[in-house]
Amino acid sequence: MTGRGSRRVRLALRDVGAAFAFVAMGLSGQVPRWTAALFALAFLLAILDVRPFARHVRESALVLLGFVTVLWLVVATGRMDLVVAACACAALLTAQRLLSEPTVAVDQQVSLAGLLMVSGGAALSADLFFLPCLVAYTVCTALALTMGEVDRAASPGAWPPAAPGLRAGAVLAAVAVVGGAAFFMLFPRLSWNLAARRSSLSFGSPVVGLGDRVRLGGSGELKSNPRIVFRAQLEPDPGVESLSAYWVAYRFDAFDGVEWHGQARPGRPVQRVTLGSGALPIVSQHIELLPAYGNRTAVALDRPVQFAAPTTHLPAYSVRTAFVALGDESVSLEGAGSGFGYHAYSVRESETRDLDEATRARRLELPPTLDPRIPALARELAAGATDPVLVARRLEARLQQRYGYTLELPGPVADPLADFLFQRRAGHCEDFATALALLLRTLGIPTRVVTGFYGGERAADVYVVRAGDAHAWVEVDVPGGVLRLDATPPQNRSATRATLLSWLLRAYESLEVQWLSGVVDYSLADQVAFLRGVGGLPGSGLRGALQAPAPRIVLPALAAAGALGALAWLVRRRRLDDAGRLGRSLHRMLRRRGLLGPDQWLEDLPHGPGTVPDAVRRAVARYLEARFGTRPLLPGERRSLLGTARGALLEVGAAAGVRA
Amino acid sequence: MTGRTALATVRRWLRPPRTLRVTRAGRTYLVLTLGIGLGALNTGNNLLYLVLGIQLATIVASGILSELSLRGLQLRRLGVEAAHAGEPFVYRWGVSRRRGTSFALSFAEAHPALSGSATLALLRPGAEVVVRGLLTAPRRGPYPLDGVRVTTTFPLGLFSKGRLLEISGELLVYPRRVPAPAVVAPRPGGAGDRPAPRFRRDGDGDTAGVRPLRDGEDARRVHWLKSAHGGQLLRVERDAEEARTVTLRLDVFAPGPALEWGCEQVAARARALLAGGFDVGLEAGPEQLAPDHGPLHERRLLRALACAGLPRVEAR
Repeated sequence: MTGRGSRRVRLALRDVGAAFAFVAMGLSGQVPRWTAALFALAFLLAILDVRPFARHVRESALVLLGFVTVLWLVVATGRMDLVVAACACAALLTAQRLLSEPTVAVDQQVSLAGLLMVSGGAALSADLFFLPCLVAYTVCTALALTMGEVDRAASPGAWPPAAPGLRAGAVLAAVAVVGGAAFFMLFPRLSWNLAARRSSLSFGSPVVGLGDRVRLGGSGELKSNPRIVFRAQLEPDPGVESLSAYWVAYRFDAFDGVEWHGQARPGRPVQRVTLGSGALPIVSQHIELLPAYGNRTAVALDRPVQFAAPTTHLPAYSVRTAFVALGDESVSLEGAGSGFGYHAYSVRESETRDLDEATRARRLELPPTLDPRIPALARELAAGATDPVLVARRLEARLQQRYGYTLELPGPVADPLADFLFQRRAGHCEDFATALALLLRTLGIPTRVVTGFYGGERAADVYVVRAGDAHAWVEVDVPGGVLRLDATPPQNRSATRATLLSWLLRAYESLEVQWLSGVVDYSLADQVAFLRGVGGLPGSGLRGALQAPAPRIVLPALAAAGALGALAWLVRRRRLDDAGRLGRSLHRMLRRRGLLGPDQWLEDLPHGPGTVPDAVRRAVARYLEARFGTRPLLPGERRSLLGTARGALLEVGAAAGVRA
Repeated sequence: MTGRTALATVRRWLRPPRTLRVTRAGRTYLVLTLGIGLGALNTGNNLLYLVLGIQLATIVASGILSELSLRGLQLRRLGVEAAHAGEPFVYRWGVSRRRGTSFALSFAEAHPALSGSATLALLRPGAEVVVRGLLTAPRRGPYPLDGVRVTTTFPLGLFSKGRLLEISGELLVYPRRVPAPAVVAPRPGGAGDRPAPRFRRDGDGDTAGVRPLRDGEDARRVHWLKSAHGGQLLRVERDAEEARTVTLRLDVFAPGPALEWGCEQVAARARALLAGGFDVGLEAGPEQLAPDHGPLHERRLLRALACAGLPRVEAR
């Protein structure tokens, strides 16, 4: 690499490191857009090696001062958070330095300003992408500063080779990252993690799908949407890769022929909502509604009995919020955060309660425009059965058998139910659920339609549910309890699978879950568990050590570090053994040509002119010097010596052949 | 063990093996680290702990790499052609190491009065590298050299770590160079009005006698016949020779500034006379140099003047 090239590499590393620091800060989404635009412009100019402030140091400093003054005024008037303003100042300072004369001192200032931005990012966000940005900033800055220090010590006009400095910088960065991780894991956490952010990065706008009413005839685009809308940690953990579970969001009683909607009135905000009670076992769920959910209705495993501990995640912090229940139809969360968290408790069989007359009448109500063919169809499908459970099961099975599943719907029609049952004979989950509910109602069995999600995929130690898992089914009130029926063919209940995007989103979610549990929420309890696992403290044992969350990451990391260390040692040993390899090669070469006997070594090489070429003698002398003296071989010298010696021997051989 | 040796041992024990100085960027870095650490402890924000950990590990890694740069260095002084007080002179060191590579090294003599240093960007193992630095000495005289201070700001420029390589030696600094006085010598002529040829070195006029040839004197002045008789080399002395021979005198008992001024003047005059073809001698207290000429003799004169009136300091 030429001197000029080395300088360009150094500056590029510096600039890219600063850009990563800015991204680490900008992930929070709180940095003003004009700051981001100015920084992006400065970065672009710096990469193109255009530095307009190199000759206008004073003027650029005055402009920077002006910006800082404006930011201070904005903070003083309460329009901007102090931390955000400090981050913006750091970004502007970095931009000004990027466009200044690129000396080694300026490199250091850029890296220090970058450190300010990274710290601001740590204070403003808890996003998964913060980690790669932090590591990239550390690596780029270490390489740039290392190269800069070597350049600074060089004579004016002389440019030392970049490779050794880069190697040392890489070692520095590796030690910094590994050491930082070790410090992070071992430094005792003696304070509560009060400032942790929980708001997640959202790719795109929220998904609009699940709502407080269901209108038939809509298209089924949502089914193919792989975005993850919530994640749930279950206790006890089922331990399976995919769940066949129903997640309840809304229950609807009223149907007007086209649309299902609720009828209950919202209650007052409360911290805990109890919907009923049931027999053990209770499944506890910690649920995080992600920004992609785009809704504030709480979901829980069927059948939920209680919701508690609601939290909303604002960009800067998380706060306690409240639930608002709409009878037993749905439970929504208050607050304007981008995400929500809460606990929910569900049972398999809820306590049975006799329906009051009003509720029963509501769940038997038929739309005034009901097609007369529908009651006849219901009777036909029931095939003479009278037991409500038997009737319900028979209708569910008949619908699954006789009707097909499709997402390609023609659009709004006058009577979507009749269209589904008698024209198209194919539809999606809302059509199946509506058909089953109304068929049962015509037979005098109270039903209601439930919407929510079906399924769940394992990601780390939680289950994630996608927008495409949105689903509808039916609850039937039968003597002795509530029966859940799903007329949709089983293979069509979950989201469309097996796309690269869905795989990527699941992998990202898995990483984010590990990031949140292993880094953002890392606590003293985790440290104790880690030390128990590593140190084999009483009561832990090897099994406990392997099952503890931290060692699961640490042990492979330690193994990888050990393997890397062994590899480095072998490489180094091989390099140190260069002299030995030179000696062995020379020995082999001379023996093949009969210049050395089988028991002779290089020290026994015959003296006197004419027998051994000078190049070979020089190589042997250099070997002895390197092996037993104080002058080790230089990089590449072994190969050069061997090549010269081999060439000289070949020339001698050729000359002997000519003479013969 | 003598008292002096014991004292030197104790001094060596008390001397820190490495010196560490924080640069301006390093001070900012430490302040930032402190601030982030306080923020992490105060808020419990784990990401701040992560940043803090990387910062602290960077400091540790920086210390390790700078130590590796300073360790295993082999250094020898190659010295200087001529060092004059008050002006920079080129000083050379030979540096090598057997294993590993050193980066961003700076070399300076540990003597407090000697300023200036040399830098070396990269030192690969195996080959000796000659490092040249511009040093400046404030006054003439012998400077006992205890060691060479090697420092490095590698790898990040946040800290300047140094070590002292104990190599004893001496640097002799000649008197400051000043312009020669306007009238420096008698008229360069022989007896009578005959002008002496400028570049004739074998004297002029009648033979006045012979004496033993001294080291460095022109062999053309040997009287071969007398030498053969006498069994030793004898040189001819002529009448006109004394007229081109100047012996300069220096009052070594003069007070400090006057002595320094005298040394500088004598050195300047000697240089001018030698350049004018004169043989120049020196009487400086007990130190006496017979008149002679040539670069070697000029060096002898400057050495004598460098030490004139000063107590002799033995190199440790």
